[in-house]
Amino acid sequence: MSDMLCVQDVTKRFKDKTAVDQVSFSVQKGEIAAILGPNGAGKSTIISMILGLLQPTAGTVQIFQQPPQNRKVREKTGVMLQDVNLMPGTKARELLNLVRHYYPAPLSMKTLSDLTGLSSKDLQTRTEKLSGGQKRRLGFALALSGDPELLILDEPSAGIDVTSRKRFWETIGYMAEQGKTVMFSTHYLQEAEEAAERILLFHHGKLAADGPPEAIKKRVVKQAVTFRVRADVSFSHWEGFSFIQSVRRRQDRIYIETSDTDRTLELLFEEETGAYDIQVENGKLEAAFEQLTSAERGAVL
Amino acid sequence: MIMVRLQCKAEILKILRNPYFVFWSLVMPIVFYFIFTRIVNANAPDEKLWQAHYLMSMTTFSVMGSAMMTLGLRMVQERTQGWSTFMKVTPLPDSIYFLAQMTAQTMIHLFSIIVIFIAGMLINGVSLAPQEWIMCGFWILLGSAPFLAIGTLVGAMQKVETAAGVTNILYLLLALAGGLWMPLEMLPDMMQAVGKWLPSYSLGNGAWEIIRGNFPEGKNVVILLTYFVLFMLLSKYVRRKQEAV
Repeated sequence: MSDMLCVQDVTKRFKDKTAVDQVSFSVQKGEIAAILGPNGAGKSTIISMILGLLQPTAGTVQIFQQPPQNRKVREKTGVMLQDVNLMPGTKARELLNLVRHYYPAPLSMKTLSDLTGLSSKDLQTRTEKLSGGQKRRLGFALALSGDPELLILDEPSAGIDVTSRKRFWETIGYMAEQGKTVMFSTHYLQEAEEAAERILLFHHGKLAADGPPEAIKKRVVKQAVTFRVRADVSFSHWEGFSFIQSVRRRQDRIYIETSDTDRTLELLFEEETGAYDIQVENGKLEAAFEQLTSAERGAVL
Repeated sequence: MIMVRLQCKAEILKILRNPYFVFWSLVMPIVFYFIFTRIVNANAPDEKLWQAHYLMSMTTFSVMGSAMMTLGLRMVQERTQGWSTFMKVTPLPDSIYFLAQMTAQTMIHLFSIIVIFIAGMLINGVSLAPQEWIMCGFWILLGSAPFLAIGTLVGAMQKVETAAGVTNILYLLLALAGGLWMPLEMLPDMMQAVGKWLPSYSLGNGAWEIIRGNFPEGKNVVILLTYFVLFMLLSKYVRRKQEAV
């Protein structure tokens, strides 16, 4: 077992609500994993339990095969939390230097400012006077200060501008090349798709899907061929084909849900159906996400 | 060890840079001292004694204030803004964090005491025997413990605004009713009767006794200790209740 992080049958119940329901997964060294889900999916709750800030109602969390509260774990973990206002009355440099000393082998100030793009002017500023973006950068620098093996970032790109965001993900990529393990939560789908090699999709406190972005797509994203056709043409026998999941008609448009759009198109022309205004919808992760999250509201095509 | 030192340094800097601290704990007591010993004629029979007496009152006023406000409000602020949460995920042990905060607070009190004592010497040429200065300083420093306990109780409050409002009122009431602004004898009988039982009076009275060549009364020590234990227990109880949710 060389799991960096192991979450086993974790459940968290608040008074009347189950925020996280029987979740299990493990993260290996060098992985970049995204916890993806809409607001209220249980992302922050699971992160709080991974960090040992919340005690699971049932199940266990282990980092480096130890409970997350252990000092040895803390020394090898870098954390960026959501909405942290950094210690007021302290200059960025003083705070960064202070936190560096909590760790046995910290990164140098220069490395940290290079990695995060904090300018020497930012470093001379008191934390309460930093802009939102600068605060996030300082927060990121604090997370990196101990040269951590595992980085846990809760909604790291919220509230930062495009340039900083780009630099941020570059740094994350660089950290992963160095063999660091990164786990972050986000509700930006594109971000999870681009930055992570693995997505843990959360929905209503459950782990709805887990895998590389492409596999997640294959599993949950439905591709479709839609077209218009004369009202008397029937497609009901198509449901017998293995690559077709469903056929639906709405007004004068037919929706065919399929795992193979090419063969569906072939079929469409072979049978000379007279279909026109044909559209192929290659499901994006966004769509899957929408589907998963809107299923609750009973919205169907 | 370097961790403790750096942490202390950061905590002290943070307090000194807080304008509220500078205003309430240094500027106000010194201005009050100047007004009530130089401008307003207190008609004290022994002017030198009054100047030393009021210096102790203002020092007590200052330390009592920073114990309750600086500590309490900072705790609320750090919790509501998430800094305390961040501290929990760093490897800094809670014990060192707590030790550093308490040491910093004590250093700040010591600093206020020295600054206000010096102001007394400069403004009125107050002169006491060296052991009297030292005893007064230590008495006020140690006697501030019940106010630190009140500070931790304030620190359990949910909002900075409420906490600030409550401590401000408590602070001024304790100062007035405890005879720190004007001697207790000048207040109505009823207030005197209550005032004698307040921690602010006991803390001030210890110092007032020292400058008169006596020791603090046993009753003062007992009252301060009782308040300390009471508020510590209360603060512990409140904290446990909050954690249970």
